[in-house]
Amino acid sequence: MFGRKGKASNYAYTAARVKAKKAHLLAEDDYSKMLMMTPQEISRYISEAGYTKEMTDLANRESGLDLLEHATYANMANVFSSILLASTGGLYDMVSAYLTKWDNWNLKVILRGKSYGLDAEGIREDLVPAGSLGAESLEKLVSLEADDDILAAFGRMTHINFPQDVLAAYKARSNLAEIEDYLDKRYYEHLLTVVRPTDRPSLMFRDYVMKEIDIKNFETILKLKLDGVRGEPVMKYVIPGGKQIDSKLASQLAAADTVEEAVSEVAQIGFYEDIKDALDPKAATIREVVSGMKKYEMHQAKKFSHLYPLSVIPVLDYMIHKENEVNNIRTVARGAESGLDRDVVKGLLVI
Amino acid sequence: MAEAEATGLIAIGAGLAVGLAGIGSGLGEKDAAAAAIGAITEDPSIFGKAMIFVVLPETIVIFGLVIAIMAFFVL
Repeated sequence: MFGRKGKASNYAYTAARVKAKKAHLLAEDDYSKMLMMTPQEISRYISEAGYTKEMTDLANRESGLDLLEHATYANMANVFSSILLASTGGLYDMVSAYLTKWDNWNLKVILRGKSYGLDAEGIREDLVPAGSLGAESLEKLVSLEADDDILAAFGRMTHINFPQDVLAAYKARSNLAEIEDYLDKRYYEHLLTVVRPTDRPSLMFRDYVMKEIDIKNFETILKLKLDGVRGEPVMKYVIPGGKQIDSKLASQLAAADTVEEAVSEVAQIGFYEDIKDALDPKAATIREVVSGMKKYEMHQAKKFSHLYPLSVIPVLDYMIHKENEVNNIRTVARGAESGLDRDVVKGLLVI
Repeated sequence: MAEAEATGLIAIGAGLAVGLAGIGSGLGEKDAAAAAIGAITEDPSIFGKAMIFVVLPETIVIFGLVIAIMAFFVL
């Protein structure tokens, strides 16, 4: 109930706000309409569906798909920041720990952008200032040239001390995966520490996070298996703290010779029913599996969203749905731009 | 002497009726008002409806007040 600063959580106020926001999210019908539109029409459609301010603000600098992508991310960042600003006490602690993933996302975008030689404007387009780092801090990071300076500045801003072995491995191979992997592991570790199982809603939040870890781990194992990596090297990338995929099952999955073998190992866990069609060896693509797992994640969020109205649950539920909406809009727009078949695009949407 | 004692007890009972009812409705209104302010922040057009829900727990105090008046004038 109380946060570290001794302030009480304002569940009623924040939950009412997110429920009002949730009522404005796009419905299934909206996606069906958008699937029939051109990218320009999609831009106009979302301008009238809650993205007006961001679309107008960015319209003089960008156009087309760039405008749409930048505006959707900017909108999501504004919405998440407003939720964080509205929360107090223990609720603030949990929301802020959950939103840390956007700080990590932003660091990954900046480092990847720099390594591919993107200019500052190109990097800015994919930034989502929804975490603890605001636009000013991110701008400072983007302006830095050397990776070492970026990591040091990020560490100072977010109080993260990158271990020397991670930095050494990153420098030795210029492999961003080392940093990204460390950030992901630290994020989930921190989140599970902050979301203490003191009451039923917090327990459900914790449970959701642990299932998310399972999904991420399974995705990592499958991707590495497709690249021919298996056994012990895979375990290095497995995030501890999963609910159903513990270290024993993870090492069994990692040791499996093929994707099909890994799939038969995973048949006993919760999300198997949701992804078994996608895991059909004849049709399986990693994209379909990931999409199946995302649908499972959304289904889990929907299941508990209405259970505890005065808790962190409605807030978490809204953040998951908002992020999903933005991803769906971007998928539809990219699909329309690249001329993909509507059924293929529809299959990629998580509704 | 006994009459004065009885009047005093009635006064204490009336005070408790209003006071406890006030505390109860205050607790109820706390969350209702916070939620209403949150909803109005997102959509100012619902001010009227939200206000009704905020003052609904207030009716409990009226029950307490009625009991207090009855204690004074009926008993």
